[in-house]
Amino acid sequence: MAEDYKLNYTDTDVDLLQSLKAPGKGYWILLTVLFLLICAGGAAWGVQIANGIGEAGKNNPVGWAMYITTFVFWVGIAHSGTLISAILFLFRVKWRAAVYRSAEAVTIFGLATAGLFPFIHLGRVWVAHWILPVPNFGGLWPNFRSPLAWDVLAITTYLTASTLFFTLGMMPDVAVVRDKTRGWRKKVYGLLAMGWQGSDNQWRHYTAAYVFLAALSTPLVISVHSIVSWDFAMSIVPGWHSTIFAPYFVAGAIHSGLAMVVLLLIPMRKAFKIEKYITPHHLESLAKFIIFTGLIVGFAYSIELFVAWYSGNPYEKAIFLYRMSGDYAWAFWLLITTNVFVPMLLWSKKIRTSIPWLVGICVSVEIGMWLERFVIIVTSLAHDYLPYAWGIYKPTLVDSLIVIGSFAWFFFLFMIFSKTLPVVSMWEVKEQIDPPMKSGM
Amino acid sequence: MPTPGQTYRFGIFAHLDTLLAAMKQLPGEGFREMEVYSPTPHHEIAHLLDRKPSPVRVFTLVGGLIGLVTGWGMTIGSTMIFPIVVGGKPVISIPPFGVVAYITTILFGTIATFIGFLVNARVPQVKVVEGYDDRLSSDHFGVLIHCHPEEVVNLEKLLKKLGAVTVTKSQGL
Repeated sequence: MAEDYKLNYTDTDVDLLQSLKAPGKGYWILLTVLFLLICAGGAAWGVQIANGIGEAGKNNPVGWAMYITTFVFWVGIAHSGTLISAILFLFRVKWRAAVYRSAEAVTIFGLATAGLFPFIHLGRVWVAHWILPVPNFGGLWPNFRSPLAWDVLAITTYLTASTLFFTLGMMPDVAVVRDKTRGWRKKVYGLLAMGWQGSDNQWRHYTAAYVFLAALSTPLVISVHSIVSWDFAMSIVPGWHSTIFAPYFVAGAIHSGLAMVVLLLIPMRKAFKIEKYITPHHLESLAKFIIFTGLIVGFAYSIELFVAWYSGNPYEKAIFLYRMSGDYAWAFWLLITTNVFVPMLLWSKKIRTSIPWLVGICVSVEIGMWLERFVIIVTSLAHDYLPYAWGIYKPTLVDSLIVIGSFAWFFFLFMIFSKTLPVVSMWEVKEQIDPPMKSGM
Repeated sequence: MPTPGQTYRFGIFAHLDTLLAAMKQLPGEGFREMEVYSPTPHHEIAHLLDRKPSPVRVFTLVGGLIGLVTGWGMTIGSTMIFPIVVGGKPVISIPPFGVVAYITTILFGTIATFIGFLVNARVPQVKVVEGYDDRLSSDHFGVLIHCHPEEVVNLEKLLKKLGAVTVTKSQGL
């Protein structure tokens, strides 16, 4: 990797700390737009709280709709971070060093966004504590057989592990910022650096903790979205009750997460002039990964259809026919196209090394992955066993604004991060370049 | 590990090879107690210092085991207090409780690992060590050496001779 970077320690700090300089007008305009969208989402939530959950367009039978769709979408987005930061670290993949910090931020902010939706979905959020399974309280008993209980535990654990991994990885870099700044910034970054000095004793424990945190986080990549998938698969609803849901959801999560990382890295490397750190090689490596996850997702879709046909289960067959030809067929065919066929364009080196193409394909994947969750959730509830109970869900202004607001919230958090903390891990980039040598080696 | 209240000198080096050469020579001159500072971990430094493996792994193991026991204990204990049959399944259902125990193992293991790091690396600290140079986090290397008061002059001269760009006073950690 040293030959890739052609850098030295001093340049690395100077270049990568550019991102912390005072932002320009464009940054503030974008931040204001995002803030206004968050306010719009917040106001929509206020309307829902005032008038009731009916404002969200949910009905009987479609009781899970946009909110749970978006919840699953954001948990999925969060998966790329741990994949890139932990799994690629354990496999010693060198290109990870330049991109993992942003990917970890995507994980944390993705989970912070996802975490809003169960509360928004509750309706009467002010009595959210009623669902806490505190013995002898509210007539509820702890039911650890429910995948919803596993889900709460899994996502809390994922957020905790990701935040600790992010904090640990950031510490030496925050110390660089502390040592390069003066005044109140030095004090603030000094507090965040927690007295990090880079002594051998600190590095010794640091590297040990880093490996163990990576090793502990790695199974979470697989298990968290598996558990999210069991929220559906453990039920007997047609189209949900499937043993392939866990790997299928995990692959989809990584698919959308990688696309989001690419979508954030491309403008960031340009805006902060860090193209020599986040190189076309990094983007191409991520693009190759997207081909791989796209293939897995495509395989899962085809197997799902095969099982529906081969099982001979009339309800399963009916729901898939409904998905392909019913009220939401447009969404079904769009998701197949955007998640599977469009990413296959990346087989062409010319396309995967073209920034506009890459952006277009990653946007396509994001649209597709959101639609995938929408189709899974809404179609199965809309057409389950009893034809007289069938129904249709249509999005409303309230739930649409809340979903748009969640996107604004995610990007808002990411933009704040990009201007306050180093977006590329300086100490890990330095690990891959030649240290300063008097002998010039 | 240097001891507080003793005499120390901090030698700042601009190059890794100069630092490594100094680290090899200093023990032969009677200066064995040292701590080395670098912007990124280096195997060569760790090899010369030859410290024991980090005990963080013990924290990870103990934390994970506590999590495992907590997960099983919480699930089995709560269902024994509220023995309600759900979905015709046994009151103590091993597969779903195993999922919870798996998650709590990772949760507790992760938290314990981080605590292990904080305890052993002695962070958070309010202040950095006296004599710490701001370049150490960026592109320089440092060696903090314990010495007796009568050895100070010799040590300073030796550090300069070995290529230190700056030598500063320190009270140690």
